[in-house]
Amino acid sequence: MHWLQEQTRRHFFRNCGVGIGKIALASLLAESGMANEVAQADNASPFAPKSTHFPGKAKRVIYLFMAGAPSQLELFDYKPKLAEMEGKPIPPSVIAGQRYAFIQPDAAVLGPRFKFAKHGQCGAEISEMLPGLSKVVDDITILRSVHTDHFNHSPAQLFCNTGNGVPGRPSMGSWLSYGLGSEAHDLPSFVVLKSGGSLSGGAAMWNAGFLPSVHQGVPFRGQGDPILHVSNPPGFDTKAQRESLDLIRQLNQQRFDALGDPEIRTRMEAYEMAFRMQSRAPELMEFSQETQETMDLYGANPSDPKQAFANNCLLARRLAERGVRFVQVYHAGWDHHSNVEGGIRAQAKETDQACAALVEDLRRRGMLDDTLIVWGGEFGRTPMVESSAALGRSQGRDHHPQAFTMWFAGGGMKPGLTYGKTDELGFNVVENKAHVHDVQATILHALGIDHTKLIFRHRGLNFKLTGVEEHHPILDLLS
Amino acid sequence: MRPVWKALSLLAVLGGIHLLARPGLAEDTVDFNRDIRPIFASKCFACHGPDEEHREADLRLDDREAAIDYGALVPGSATESLLMERILTDDHDLQMPPPHTNDTLTAEQKKLFQKWIEEGAPYAKHWAFVPVTKPELPPVSNEAWPKRPLDRFVLARLDKEGLAPSAEADRYALVRRVYLDLIGLPPTPAEADAFVNDQDPQAYEKLVDRLLASPRYGERWAREWLDLARYSDTNGYEKDRERSIWPYRDWVIQAINDDMPFDQFTIEQLAGDMLPDATQQQMIATGFHRNTMLNEEGGIDPLEYRYYAMVDRVATTGTVWLGLTIGCAQCHTHKYDPITHTDYFAFMALLNNADEPSLLLKTPEDIKRREAMLAKIAELESQLPGQFPPADGEGELLQRREANFQAKKAEWLADARQQAVDWQTLRPSALESNLPKLETLEDGSIFSSGDITKRDVFTLTYSIDPAQLPLTALRLEVMPDDRLPAGGPGRAYYEGRQGDFFLSEFATKFNGQPVKLTDASHSYGKIGIGSGSADAANVLDGNGSTGWSTAEQEGKSNQLVLNFDQPITSAGELTIELLFERHFAASLGRFRISAASADGNVQAKQLPVEVEALLTRTSGDLSPEEASQIERYYLAVAPELAEARKPIDALRKSMPRYSTTLVMQERPEDNPRPTHRHHRGEYLSPKELVQPNVPQFLADESSPGPANRLELAQWLVSRDNPLTSRVVANRAWQAFFGRGLVESAGDFGTQSEPPSHPQLLDHLASSLIENGWSMKSLHREIVLSATYRQDPVASPELQAIDSQNRLLARGPRFRVDAEMVRDMMLKASGQLSDKMFGHGVFPPQPDSVTALAYDRMKWNPSPGEDRFRRSIYTFSKRTAPFAAFTVFDAPSGEVCIAKRDRSNTPLQALTLLNDAMYLELAQALASAAKTEGATNETIAENIFRRLLTRPPESGEVKAVLQYWNEQLQRLQSGELDPATIVGKQNSSADDAAWVMVARALMNLDESITKP
Repeated sequence: MHWLQEQTRRHFFRNCGVGIGKIALASLLAESGMANEVAQADNASPFAPKSTHFPGKAKRVIYLFMAGAPSQLELFDYKPKLAEMEGKPIPPSVIAGQRYAFIQPDAAVLGPRFKFAKHGQCGAEISEMLPGLSKVVDDITILRSVHTDHFNHSPAQLFCNTGNGVPGRPSMGSWLSYGLGSEAHDLPSFVVLKSGGSLSGGAAMWNAGFLPSVHQGVPFRGQGDPILHVSNPPGFDTKAQRESLDLIRQLNQQRFDALGDPEIRTRMEAYEMAFRMQSRAPELMEFSQETQETMDLYGANPSDPKQAFANNCLLARRLAERGVRFVQVYHAGWDHHSNVEGGIRAQAKETDQACAALVEDLRRRGMLDDTLIVWGGEFGRTPMVESSAALGRSQGRDHHPQAFTMWFAGGGMKPGLTYGKTDELGFNVVENKAHVHDVQATILHALGIDHTKLIFRHRGLNFKLTGVEEHHPILDLLS
Repeated sequence: MRPVWKALSLLAVLGGIHLLARPGLAEDTVDFNRDIRPIFASKCFACHGPDEEHREADLRLDDREAAIDYGALVPGSATESLLMERILTDDHDLQMPPPHTNDTLTAEQKKLFQKWIEEGAPYAKHWAFVPVTKPELPPVSNEAWPKRPLDRFVLARLDKEGLAPSAEADRYALVRRVYLDLIGLPPTPAEADAFVNDQDPQAYEKLVDRLLASPRYGERWAREWLDLARYSDTNGYEKDRERSIWPYRDWVIQAINDDMPFDQFTIEQLAGDMLPDATQQQMIATGFHRNTMLNEEGGIDPLEYRYYAMVDRVATTGTVWLGLTIGCAQCHTHKYDPITHTDYFAFMALLNNADEPSLLLKTPEDIKRREAMLAKIAELESQLPGQFPPADGEGELLQRREANFQAKKAEWLADARQQAVDWQTLRPSALESNLPKLETLEDGSIFSSGDITKRDVFTLTYSIDPAQLPLTALRLEVMPDDRLPAGGPGRAYYEGRQGDFFLSEFATKFNGQPVKLTDASHSYGKIGIGSGSADAANVLDGNGSTGWSTAEQEGKSNQLVLNFDQPITSAGELTIELLFERHFAASLGRFRISAASADGNVQAKQLPVEVEALLTRTSGDLSPEEASQIERYYLAVAPELAEARKPIDALRKSMPRYSTTLVMQERPEDNPRPTHRHHRGEYLSPKELVQPNVPQFLADESSPGPANRLELAQWLVSRDNPLTSRVVANRAWQAFFGRGLVESAGDFGTQSEPPSHPQLLDHLASSLIENGWSMKSLHREIVLSATYRQDPVASPELQAIDSQNRLLARGPRFRVDAEMVRDMMLKASGQLSDKMFGHGVFPPQPDSVTALAYDRMKWNPSPGEDRFRRSIYTFSKRTAPFAAFTVFDAPSGEVCIAKRDRSNTPLQALTLLNDAMYLELAQALASAAKTEGATNETIAENIFRRLLTRPPESGEVKAVLQYWNEQLQRLQSGELDPATIVGKQNSSADDAAWVMVARALMNLDESITKP
């Protein structure tokens, strides 16, 4: 029955997944001299991962998504001019024709709420609210000139995550899982972690869209099983589970022998992988393997829900170590329409240390070279103040799609670089404009992917993450 | 039609069949559609196709005349044709397609072009755009095999391949297959046996007819349609709040059960509101295009998201009925299909002229209940005077009571009369706004319709004549109306409370000069979102972010009164400007302006305006009914009756609310919504106006074509449209066989792979129309065919040649859809409720699923039988869909899905193994299978058959019993706890071991597979 095994194996490589990686399989099978066959099967499959278009330094991504949109004017983009103009309306010529979510265009300017200073050998200028990050500035790349197409949270978050403002398109993690496969053996290739408040973009941000559904991001839950149903039901121990699986396998095998449907074989493998995930998940979540020094570095404490972001950063590193291709860490809580000063203070306190720790920890472990960390929100905040009697808001900032800041670390980005410039009001980008699609193209580039070639044909169109208009990776950011 | 399929040698197709029918060069003539168009479409049209904007060198190859005029083609002479020169050259600067595109042609393709040009370079219409004609039945090798006409097409194709069909599936497989396909549920062992043992030669036909008549049929097939309709019970985007549109889901189930002809099914869903004397059901049907998402995030531009919804409607209509990727032409002219950028917006214009209200569903039962309660309230009210506290003192109680009532009433009346102001309704001479349409109603009130924005400005003009003078005060009444969200008075429909409004400023001018208003008061004020005040004075403070609102009084009247600083004492023109400015659209829907000539300033009152008007008249002038109206009002407010009114208040509170559903309502002729072409498809770049029409290439030159939604719906199902019947027949085929005859069920365009059996597709499409668009007839034809009844076993040869079964030499076998996985387990365990229709229900799932949603919705599992309802009734939340469905590839209702993915993953295994919902069903299954006096063998067989239908083989029973015994020992020894596993105190080890068996068998591949 050699033919059957072969068919089955091909079928399996095409269809099986939770991102149990094809690349991982390829490497496993290489030992048994079957790697070529995998390559063949992959070539034959519309779902097949492609080898990278060129060698990329980054092998995986940890994306720290700051949902709600942090104020770049309080953190990264220092504008003393705003302090000078505080209380005066912004010149109408600057604001002409812009749409805003809450404020009217004649709103007055609000000066930066914090002090800035230069740090590290690179002399990057950042806010006093980021003492942790200030210690690793020589390892990070700051991009001050990002702009986006959307000025509301849900569409703007979707835009950053899926390249489109309306739900339904594949997310970046799904694209990478689809395009690169996974190095993770018993874990999904695309994991989603979350802390803080609510996420406006919702589950559509880790959806596989029209890509094969196996590339969907798997959210790790903050309560109950981290991966849904990864624990046995009450009363079932490992032995009972194993023996049940043995019965299932035995009966499935008999059907397979009778029918020859390779789908049965795929299901048998899926059940075995499920069992391995069950044993792997608890180990993954077990932080006691970490040294106290590491725990302190992050400020992690699994029993303290207030440290959820720090815990997630540490978990992200553990996932990255285990070969997960794309870890999306969401932290929501940056939507400071009122009291931007207090809001930034609180959120910086919750996140700054862990962000810096992640950079430092990866560097120490030699993982920073091939792990790309991305930090950023969905848009920026206005140089103008937001106040509203109806909503009881004052001293806040509204949504500002024209300019905001992101930073990157590792994965072949140029360390110590600050790139891009806004005007003296921080209103518009004046140098090295970087559209969200350019940023996405850059992330793909770091992974060895030409964003114009990572395409999926759907409904008669070749879709790509970065949309239809022409966009480019920002090569200046890459070393 | 000429058969286009060439015999393929087995050798040539090893490793996967190529249905693109690679033409051998020995083929007599080149066929444009088969041989040339696919190359043109994939390699040339992007730069030399219909899209003018991206056209290079001014050459188009999709139009034969143009290509000839250009010299690209010289029919009959390949050597003179520029096209050949450019594809043959070695010069990289000249070569086409340009070498850098990696799209270069193969030698074989080049030869094809040459041969085609030599043959005169004939073009032909794309197969899908050619009218459907009924093909002749082809001759076949084995006249005994076909059971239905469609089988001849399948067999003829197999004959060509030198293949034979498979034998008929065994009767257990067949009965399971046809149950699952027609009603989405497996047969019980008894139902299966009844069929298997039925000696009647017509047994199968009779079974099919019985299943087609089952109410379960509509529940199974509605799911397919709801995928296309992108149905969900929530709005999507950030807040993803609940919406009420389940009556539409119920309409779909009922229509399918009634076998509503597909043409009518189409017309009612796209344009039921435009049918003459549209029924409530026809209105409900228009929910199809109300399934678009609604962004309720604060601060959005609502018209921008309406535009995105329109984009979705166009794309969905294209996919569902035309099998065309019209959506591709949103940004620019379609690169491959002949759809221009203007065509796209002309198509949008057909759909774009509707308002989008909620329809109150006043069922006769609800109306009756409400009337009965109102009668009861009236009765109780009439008894109120009899409960008035008696005056102190001597005498008959009744008399003292009456005396006290009359005295207190007179006291109140005198006071109220004194305070009553004689308000005169002002009738506007002109109404203007930034966008909404304002009209004056009979009662002098103003009604707003059409689109609204975050900043609406109403300008009302009144001619004041001398008889009305002096004007000392203005009163704004905000009024309810059934046509408004939540009954009004406002038009807020997202983010804020339904029916809310927010009046920022109220400014007046007299003869063009600003007039100062002062001393503002209101009958009630509350802000819906935010902590701000709702003081009446806010409307005079010049600050747009403060204002007046009557949140939580939706469906009720309220009033705002403003006094002129200086009375207006001369005739002239009074202009009132109302500004509504919030972070969501919140202008008024119905309101009325009145003026008073009073001595001194006046204030807003709780008193209803009608009663106040009566109070200004002398009692002698009042009719008995009017006098009674005053008395009724007094009874409703008299403090002495507060206690006595409590039962009435309670009744009012418990009045049944009408259900609502989202519908389309064509706009009135005097307020059409214009549709523009949008540059690059962007909302912010509207260009010239476009007129509604279908894409030019589909239009009939001799008739004007559809000009509105109804005409579009009628056109879609008319003979003029070659696509709908094919697309519908293909989708049905896909549902039964796992793959359509056209593999891309949502794309029949020039870029799509041609059908595997073109004539079969046209046969099905034309039969569908002949049978009056009866979907049940189509389904019946398919399941009665020999093709459908084949055994699914794939021989090694067949597996090698045709792993995907596109030649149909065997029966279908694949994992069932997500909802069916659960429904099968419900049925097998005996828990399935057959209750139909109504609000969505909540089967159990971990809290952590919806905890991820923005609103952290609490998922409270439904009690009673609602816990076990058919999956089509499961509440569908877009941003946190039911996890046990998502994991099996169920869609989340965000976009139209013409074909689901069918994955096979470890997460599915974890769900079936460990999800408490499935464990609960395993417990029920074990308990149901363990009948009185049954042996272990029969219990095992019973569980097995409830899940798999067929009887187990002896080896299978043996394996199951061995497992059972092993677990039993562990349970008995205390290694495992029976009570925990059975989920019940004092459970036996024996019971627990059967639960473990049931759970294991639920996890077999076969348990979730259609054989």
